[in-house]
Amino acid sequence: MSEIIDRLKEAILTYDDKLAQQTAEKAIEEGIDPKKILDGMTEAIRKIGDGFERGELFLPELVGAANAMSKATSIVEMEIEKSGKKVDKIGTVVLGTVKGDIHDIGKTMVKAFLVAENFRVIDLGVDVAPEEFIKAIEKYNPEILALSALMTTTISEQRKIIEILKDKGIRDRLKIIIGGAATSQEFADEIGADGYEASAPRAPRLCKKLLTEG
Amino acid sequence: MTRKGLTRNFSPIEILTEEQIESIHKSTLDVLQKTGVRFESKRALELFKENGCEVDTDKKLVKFPPGLVEECLRKCPSSFRIKGRDSSQDLSFGGNTSYFLPFPGKDTIDLETWEPRVPTRKEFYDVVKIMDALDTVHYTGSYVPWFGFKYVPPVMQMLEGDAANFRNSSMPLHCNYGKDCEKFAIEMAKALDAVNLGVVGVSPPLTYQEDACKSAFRNIEAGFPLYIQSGATYGATAPATIAGATITNNAELMGGIVLAQLTKPGTGILVSDFGFPQNMRSGHPAFGQIGSSLHQVMFNQIWRRYKIPVGNHSTGLSSSKKIDYQCGYEKAILCLLSLLSGANEIAFHGCVYGELSFHPIQLILDDDVVGMIGRFLEGVEVSDETLAIDLINEVGPIPGTYLTKEHTRKWWKKEQFVPKAADSLTYPEWMEENKKDCIEYAKKRMKEIIETYKPKPLSDNDEDAIENILEEARRYYRERGEISDKEWDAYKKDLESPDYPYA
Repeated sequence: MSEIIDRLKEAILTYDDKLAQQTAEKAIEEGIDPKKILDGMTEAIRKIGDGFERGELFLPELVGAANAMSKATSIVEMEIEKSGKKVDKIGTVVLGTVKGDIHDIGKTMVKAFLVAENFRVIDLGVDVAPEEFIKAIEKYNPEILALSALMTTTISEQRKIIEILKDKGIRDRLKIIIGGAATSQEFADEIGADGYEASAPRAPRLCKKLLTEG
Repeated sequence: MTRKGLTRNFSPIEILTEEQIESIHKSTLDVLQKTGVRFESKRALELFKENGCEVDTDKKLVKFPPGLVEECLRKCPSSFRIKGRDSSQDLSFGGNTSYFLPFPGKDTIDLETWEPRVPTRKEFYDVVKIMDALDTVHYTGSYVPWFGFKYVPPVMQMLEGDAANFRNSSMPLHCNYGKDCEKFAIEMAKALDAVNLGVVGVSPPLTYQEDACKSAFRNIEAGFPLYIQSGATYGATAPATIAGATITNNAELMGGIVLAQLTKPGTGILVSDFGFPQNMRSGHPAFGQIGSSLHQVMFNQIWRRYKIPVGNHSTGLSSSKKIDYQCGYEKAILCLLSLLSGANEIAFHGCVYGELSFHPIQLILDDDVVGMIGRFLEGVEVSDETLAIDLINEVGPIPGTYLTKEHTRKWWKKEQFVPKAADSLTYPEWMEENKKDCIEYAKKRMKEIIETYKPKPLSDNDEDAIENILEEARRYYRERGEISDKEWDAYKKDLESPDYPYA
């Protein structure tokens, strides 16, 4: 058992998403406790996060490891959900770049930093219409909704989504954070978002703060 | 008549061999043929299909036959003109001339705290006036000097800025797009008999969004030349290697060139390099880095072979948050390399921290940087008069002196460049002058320009035309829900102020 988990850790530490996925599938097939698999992976991603903190590893390594981790995690989480148990995560974040905007990198980095800090991240991709955000909120019931917009012409979509959530009466069910080059704290305040960050590495800190505020 | 740009009187620096250029050229055509470029526009996809490209409509992917790409490169003119509202301000892009556009920032900076803040309408209009007054600023643009100003809703920022530029300057406009803004910007230019340089931006890697294609079609239909720009980060939206990032960048730009030349053969094109290495800790582009210069110098050399004018847009940005030594050296080194390698157009003045801040003091300091390099580009005149053989023989050794000679009075100012906002005092003078530095001198120059410089005013008819177009745009975006009630209330109050459009 520990051999498979070691291989899975190794896959994350060497940024090998295919190996991570295959090993996770194998671990499930062999009936290893999904919780133990997740613990092993968390240990590996922490090592990567520590390396980043110490300035020894950089974004390409962090994103590579988070990507490998996400691939394996989705397989293990499915198994946990099948058994009717809950996945043990700090919180769930639904994330996407708003409609009309196809900038992907910043959002991908935010995802990597959140994954590395043990958040469950549902990434809806880029050019996401408001109704897709709503659907995901209803399906995953996240604590946090994270909206990315890079252009002055698309930041108004962030406002639009908040307005739609208000109209549907579900605005207060979650915290909303925004980011992207054209946004600012001032804009976040104006549109009634709960948080703003200018830099991806600071996203987990912001999310944790919002979760403790409840 | 044209506004005087910088003239380079010697060969540009080159860092690639002919074989290397050929290898990059072939690899670029190969990527265009095998992988292609995504165009999120039905009209563009149809146009490509009609002209022999392999089009996958579902994936919106266009694969280009190399012959077609090379043919379209040949169709681009080697030079073209844009027009300001005053014909003395026209620019002719190409050859050994370089023109400068200020590089905008989102906010201005508080010089006491160095923190960013949103500029006011008055600050915006005043800075346009300063730009108009400076000899080394040759044209202006959307979102220049700032992305917008106080009380203007995001969707109106570009157009309010364009109007400010047309009102307080006679220079031509580098005009952006998005959410149909270009439609109104074209109307403004037409009303003033100006010709904009219409921006079309690539979304790397290898993608054109629908808004960019719309901008291309609308500007071409207006008879305007295009400014096609790709701004990738190496290691994120382009390969981490400079050579690899040149291939994706050039493939992207060539896709846009084919679109333009198929729409209207002979359309003037300026291709712009706006690439940065990625900061691998924050994920932001790393501004003011030598990687941008390596990319731009290669870019300038390659596109000179295609005989298509080139722009360098990574030149004017720094990673510093202050107007300081780092900001100065990052900007000046990149500017020198862009100019020595033959950039026809550079976005430079005023920007401090990459795209996020602009300050008029930096604008004035950058006027000296460009002036200084501009003097270098002119090179050295070697003639009987400048060799001064007769004079050297006449003056002879000590106690001979050149200071009293007519030749000195005639030539020293032509040969030297005298900066306008630099500290050039001796120590005793400097102590008497309260130890002033270049920032203090720039503040003084800024104040003088604001108080004394008068831009050529718009005629009443032209002013009415601009205001009517703004009104039409406000209605258009209000009806489409792009301006919220809260935004509208603040904006309306500003529009009704007695100082509108500027005091």
